[in-house]
Amino acid sequence: MDTIIIRHLRESLALLPMENFGPANEFYRRLFELAPEVRPMFNREIGLQAKKFSEMLAWIIANLDRPDELSSEMRALGARHGGYGVTIDQYAPIGSALMWMFQHTLGDRFTPEMEEAWLEFYAFLSFEMERGAREAATTGTHP
Amino acid sequence: MIQVGIDIIGALADRATEGGVLLPLNTALVSHHLDQALNSPLFRHAERQARFLRFVVDSALHSPESTIKEFDIGIAVYDRRSDYDPRMDPIVRVEAARLRARLREYYEVTPPEHVRIDIPKGRYVPVFIPVNGDLAVVNTDLSVLVPPFRCLSADLGDHNFCDGLTEEVLHKLAQVPGLRVITQSVAARLEQIEGPKPHYLLEASVRRAGTEIRLVLQLMELTGGGSTHFSKIYQATINEIFTTQEQLAEEIRRDISAALHIRKRVTGASTS
Repeated sequence: MDTIIIRHLRESLALLPMENFGPANEFYRRLFELAPEVRPMFNREIGLQAKKFSEMLAWIIANLDRPDELSSEMRALGARHGGYGVTIDQYAPIGSALMWMFQHTLGDRFTPEMEEAWLEFYAFLSFEMERGAREAATTGTHP
Repeated sequence: MIQVGIDIIGALADRATEGGVLLPLNTALVSHHLDQALNSPLFRHAERQARFLRFVVDSALHSPESTIKEFDIGIAVYDRRSDYDPRMDPIVRVEAARLRARLREYYEVTPPEHVRIDIPKGRYVPVFIPVNGDLAVVNTDLSVLVPPFRCLSADLGDHNFCDGLTEEVLHKLAQVPGLRVITQSVAARLEQIEGPKPHYLLEASVRRAGTEIRLVLQLMELTGGGSTHFSKIYQATINEIFTTQEQLAEEIRRDISAALHIRKRVTGASTS
């Protein structure tokens, strides 16, 4: 992955105040506004979900320079999401909520270059997840 | 590689460009390619992205003068309301990045036969890139309107020379494959008929001093806003009138063919 993109991703994540998983809570609030139909897919309490989301985000950013491992993990995550019933179209509001989380939390500190990096990276992540879901559906191995 | 894109140069979205020459785009071929792509598994299960791609391609093909805004896509493809604010809801930017990735994946799995659709970063207007210079993406032959060359003298002999030279050039250009030559009289008749204008206008003026001839020639793009595409001054010494006319006409034919990349069109793929 482009080192400049990696730098922007890491810098923007480092700016997020992670206490109480506030940004992640904002992410879910925004996601349910944009796509209320996905709310029933989340059985667990949103606070716990936000914690898990924050941890996943931190893991992803820590593993940016290990693309094979990242791809493999994203495909597995996609396969699980496919099992929950997430459709390809639903990756759009998820991405929009992710961008909004950064914009909303960081304001002007979330630069256009950072947004561009996240757009590019989310396209990669979501595509790997989609691929994982597709493979799982083909082989009947949804977790 | 020949750069063909409907909007590579400005908002002329129904035009392909070949080395800067505006050419009409084979919209039927592009539409067919779009249908093929959208029927592939990668797009069949991605309904919104398929709508996104169809929207931008159709907009570019059918409304060539318009630009495609993030807001328009939000309304047309993502069912946003009229108070939708792209700054607050970046769904179109998110999806554009994903669509680019999907197109890349599609072309890795299904190498395109004639044309490849691309949506360059930072814009929503697609470009159409011919595969290996395949000019099937270009629709019809080029056409050039050639009015009589102007004679800048009152001498009857000079006028005759000009008329003869015009005829000789018309004859030479008419033999260039892929080039449709339209004379002034035909153009006048075509004005009564609805249809596309000629792509180019070839104008020349001729001056004589003793046995020396000076011809100023200009090839102008009619479909690209009237800008000069090629210009050259020719000089010749009249020894024998017919020979001089023929030599000048041959030189002009070569130059015009080169300026319009005619050789490439002929040795490339067949036009549809």
